[in-house]
Amino acid sequence: MRDDPQSFQQSRRQFFGHCGLGLAPLALASLLNEDVAASSTPAAAPGALSERLPHFAPRAKRVIFLYMVGGPSQLDLFEPKSELSKRDGQPIPESFLKGTKFAQIQEKQPRLMASPWKFARHGQCGADVSELLPHTATVVDHLSIVKTLKADDINHAFAELQMNTGWRQFGRPSMGSWVSYGLGSESRDLPGFTVLLSGMRPRSKSANYANGFLPSTFQGVPLRSAGEPILNLTSPGGFSPARQRRSIGAINVLNSKRLDVTGDAEIAARIAAYEMAFRMQTSAPELLDLGGEDGATLGMYGIADAAQPSFARNCLLARRLVERGVRFVQLFHGDWDHHSNLASGLPAQCRQTDQPSAALIKDLAARGLLDDTLVIWGGEFGRTSVAQGPKDASVGRDHNIDAFTMWLAGGGIKPGQTLGTTDELGCFATQDSFPIHDLQATILHLLGLDHKRLTYRFQGRDFRLTDVHGDVIGKLLG
Amino acid sequence: MVFRRDQDRWDSARGCAPGVWLLLVISWTITVRAAEGPAGVPTSVSRAVDFASEVRPLLAKHCFACHGEDLQEGGLRLDRKDAALKGGKQGPAIVPGKSGESRLVQFVAGANAKQIVMPPEGQRLSPEEIGVLRAWIDRGAAWPDEAPARNAKAADHWAFKRPLRPAVPAVKHTAWVSNAVDAFVLARLEAQNIGPAPEADRATLLRRLSLDLTGLPPSPEDVARFVADPAADAYERWVDRLLDSPHFGERWARHWLDLARYADSSGYEFDIPRSVWRYRDWVIGAMNRDLPFDRFVIEQIAGDLLPAASVEQTVATGFHCNAMLDPNLRWEAVLDQLNTTGTVLLGLTVGCAQCHSHKFDPLTQREYYQLYAFFDSAGISDFELATPAEKAARDVAQARVDALKKQRTEYEASLKETLVAWESGLSAEERAKLPAPAQAALSTVTTDRSPDQVSRLVTARAAGDVRHQTMCREIDERSQEVPRLPATLAMRAEPRETRLFVRGNPERPGGLVRPGVPAFLHPLAAAGRPTRLDLARWLVAPENPLVARVAVNHLWQRYFGLGLVEPVNDFGVQTPAPLHQELLDWLATEFMARGWSSKAVHRLIVCSATYRQSSHARSDLQTIDPNNRLLARQRRLRVEAEIIRDLSLSAGGLLATRLGGPSVYPYQPEGILDDRATKAAWTVSPGDDRFRRGLYTWTWRLTPHPMLSLFDAPDASMACARRDRSNTPVQALTLLNDPTFVACARGLARRVIAEAGDDPARLDRAFQICLNRSPAADEAEVLLALLREQLAELKSEGDAASQIAGPDLPGGAEVSQYAAWTVVCRALSSLDEFVTRE
Repeated sequence: MRDDPQSFQQSRRQFFGHCGLGLAPLALASLLNEDVAASSTPAAAPGALSERLPHFAPRAKRVIFLYMVGGPSQLDLFEPKSELSKRDGQPIPESFLKGTKFAQIQEKQPRLMASPWKFARHGQCGADVSELLPHTATVVDHLSIVKTLKADDINHAFAELQMNTGWRQFGRPSMGSWVSYGLGSESRDLPGFTVLLSGMRPRSKSANYANGFLPSTFQGVPLRSAGEPILNLTSPGGFSPARQRRSIGAINVLNSKRLDVTGDAEIAARIAAYEMAFRMQTSAPELLDLGGEDGATLGMYGIADAAQPSFARNCLLARRLVERGVRFVQLFHGDWDHHSNLASGLPAQCRQTDQPSAALIKDLAARGLLDDTLVIWGGEFGRTSVAQGPKDASVGRDHNIDAFTMWLAGGGIKPGQTLGTTDELGCFATQDSFPIHDLQATILHLLGLDHKRLTYRFQGRDFRLTDVHGDVIGKLLG
Repeated sequence: MVFRRDQDRWDSARGCAPGVWLLLVISWTITVRAAEGPAGVPTSVSRAVDFASEVRPLLAKHCFACHGEDLQEGGLRLDRKDAALKGGKQGPAIVPGKSGESRLVQFVAGANAKQIVMPPEGQRLSPEEIGVLRAWIDRGAAWPDEAPARNAKAADHWAFKRPLRPAVPAVKHTAWVSNAVDAFVLARLEAQNIGPAPEADRATLLRRLSLDLTGLPPSPEDVARFVADPAADAYERWVDRLLDSPHFGERWARHWLDLARYADSSGYEFDIPRSVWRYRDWVIGAMNRDLPFDRFVIEQIAGDLLPAASVEQTVATGFHCNAMLDPNLRWEAVLDQLNTTGTVLLGLTVGCAQCHSHKFDPLTQREYYQLYAFFDSAGISDFELATPAEKAARDVAQARVDALKKQRTEYEASLKETLVAWESGLSAEERAKLPAPAQAALSTVTTDRSPDQVSRLVTARAAGDVRHQTMCREIDERSQEVPRLPATLAMRAEPRETRLFVRGNPERPGGLVRPGVPAFLHPLAAAGRPTRLDLARWLVAPENPLVARVAVNHLWQRYFGLGLVEPVNDFGVQTPAPLHQELLDWLATEFMARGWSSKAVHRLIVCSATYRQSSHARSDLQTIDPNNRLLARQRRLRVEAEIIRDLSLSAGGLLATRLGGPSVYPYQPEGILDDRATKAAWTVSPGDDRFRRGLYTWTWRLTPHPMLSLFDAPDASMACARRDRSNTPVQALTLLNDPTFVACARGLARRVIAEAGDDPARLDRAFQICLNRSPAADEAEVLLALLREQLAELKSEGDAASQIAGPDLPGGAEVSQYAAWTVVCRALSSLDEFVTRE
């Protein structure tokens, strides 16, 4: 349970003056009260998404998670292995097969595959980055590149869920939902947890940004790239903004009369929700209108056509969202699942993502937002040092869950370092192996949340994002 | 995409387990060092330590997983005094008085560089913890004789004792008491000098009753009749009428379907569609005919095993077929079946015992797997509902197809045998036309070809072979003639040997377990190896202290927002006896005494004065009883997602009230089903099927209908004992802008224009339809002003007016009038009061 009485007072005071997006008395009651059952009671009216104080001073106020669906090949992007180059085509030594599982490879002793791409050291920190990521190479001094993340599930769907919900099954709240639950939203007119999708979607779909057993107030709201950006955001035909305003005005006059009669604070929450809904109808299109962005900015992100959905456009939208106080922005982009056609597929993914990811870092830094915005890049796992399929243009790499690379930047992350070492073939960690729960504990820690105290009681048990695991990765902290 | 499911997901511990420890075979061979203790080992804390509060928890946290009840690595067991002091295969682990010589300390401190430090994975002991351990050993390793702690505590726990029929208490204000429910509530109120709230007004009462019992609003005429009815039993007659309504079954089936995690697809990445709607209809029927709850349970758990099981009884086992299912993760479904049984019927969080004995409740891990064994010995398959003649006809048609396929296979074998001849007869031109893999195979020396290459060649040859083509065509045609018979998912006996999963990991099977029930509950009566049917009967046996209580508590919470016991799904030892235990026990015993009639309990609750109180907040109770635990009033409850839809469709005159049948596809926005691993289309149902009640909406678990999720419909990943009632701006946008709700507002506008004369009368009609009351003067003023203003504006905005009023207006209609009324009706049906049961 959130157990900080001061923050409770704080949010109560903020209630009518500063309603967060969405008001679920239930959620707050449970934040504060052992008796979750107390749920929708008049006593607990403050907005669940109104801003809440963290457990301790945060380093990051908001998060942008660039989620790379499918598992990018770290060996071709961040992990040069001279030994792998030397032994290209040789069967992988038996000793490396112990404890290894492949998702698709059936051969008993598959062959090692060197990266066909060149690596160089970049920045003051001298981080290794391949030629596929020329733009990322220019921002390495902002990044902590972690090479030894460890996942537990070799299947995409479950590994995605582990990364995003801390649990390898459906049904748990996602990280963004936990963060919204813990901290509320700074934004008065946009969803506090916003999701942007481009390319292939994650296999386990909206479960990656769902609220699980938390109130639906905390669910990630996808900004759709086609049609309405938020479901039902657009007024029906014939309803001008003035007519919509007038309608909501009448609704809320009647709602407040009912509030007077019944004394049910839930109605106050509904009034606020309608007001905010109206603001969203203006603010979401404004958010999406990139007309105010100058050509240099669009160029930096590599946005050729601002109306066309793309990862690049989503990166710029992510910056615009955090500028507007949105707490947790998660981009999903795929597909990095290069079991085959690595030689053509991987460069294609990099062309779509490298420049905008780097531009986002630069842009946030230039606007002074990087200091308190945590940016995370990575997918559910990495890829094998052995080849999958015949050694021709169609060759690819299988899943590696034992050691894979992610990077983090801003928001209290130590800049310009590489963390963790893998063996000479890039199969396993030899130093600093970080389970996913450690990453999650660290993300919460940077936001000022103690992952062991951010709990929610459900079915008789206190649940956490990190389940019963997780240690903050001290080395990541700046 | 991964087709070969990896079974190694269990290397890591599951949910409740502390840390992930590799299980290494450990030999206790460490050199005993000097008596003063090994170098580098943290020193003993200089105080007395308490075994129960300090040492045992420490051992539990770090050691029991591998050296406890379920597993004894190296022969060492540390959760029992005698075993712990005896030591493991290699000798004693604890030397009382000499912590430095105790292997336990040496191992956890990593005293020997050549030895593994315990625990091998997961959190190691801190120096402070090692100090505590040492202090305890140095002071003699006092280990108090174990009280039979778990079971003693359990035996005392209120919910594990059979409910005794309490005497109905005497109260002063007898006039308020309608039935025994009220006596229990009032006695408590009088003890605290609090009076109950006044009864809600009659219109509110009927709307409340109607929404609670059927999920549909009363008609304005019904309300008028009820308000004017002077008969003393007018209310009770309405109760009976609504309990007899077929919509009662729909309403209460949906509550049960939440518990049953019902959905129309398998879930997981592939989310395969399944046919199990007949189970949903079975639940509706069971509710409507008031199938006694004990039979309701028996048929769902083991209807297929009943002697001479009827089709209906077999359909009922769809209950546990609702588990999410991935054929490669079968155990997950079985675990869910057990956990759901725990949540729904026993009110226990049994799932914790998957990995370790329950931390609070007296359920051991072994007992958990004994329960698991019941469900493990069951399979889920399509149960055909056709007649024997239909099945026979199908079998004949299928046999025809199978025979043709066999012929084709034989022919393909002959094609394979004569490949060389075929190959040599190919012209260069013909070769060039072959698919690339076949060409590659041809260029490989015959003897070097892989089986895959050979089969590609056969395929290529067959593709150009006239006889083969004819065979394929005929198989296709005959296949289409095989009738698809109606089927529904059902359970059937499928005996299996069940082994415990060590630390909850299905990859690490432990000892064999027999089906059985936990020792802390009543014994199971069974001759021979107990079956699911024995379990089902055990569940609803009169000795079971939990099932009736849990069931009435589920019913209660639907009427009051909270259960008498909270949380509703934890009756375990962590949940103290509730304030209204006597009321709970009275209801539970009454439930059983009335032959497990659910409708009898419904009637008792809704006929009580307690239920009929006003739901208005009481300022006098705000601090004393903010959560309404004393029940000195009713509560306003926002209705569920499906009911919001039903209310709107009903107000708009669009609702199709047919019962049952296959799930339907109402409107949903584009794009919801994009990118699914299993492709799916959402073609809006024809005719009025798109305006069926919300509970009939097809549920893809992976990509649910957005309106339903938005208003907190459960995701069907596990049993849902209570939904949230969230309140968000995106919900507001949906009520205002979703095309379905806009269509409802239009329908309502047309109704009121047709059904009443002037504007005030029409507004009154709209209020009656939506809220079952007339507007107050100030409310009417607000909406009539809106109407006048909109009318004036829309007269000059022809396009907007026709967009708002929608197509197919009655002939000669004044568009602006329909449009203005649509604006007003949309406002009305977006009100908090509209979506709230007051």
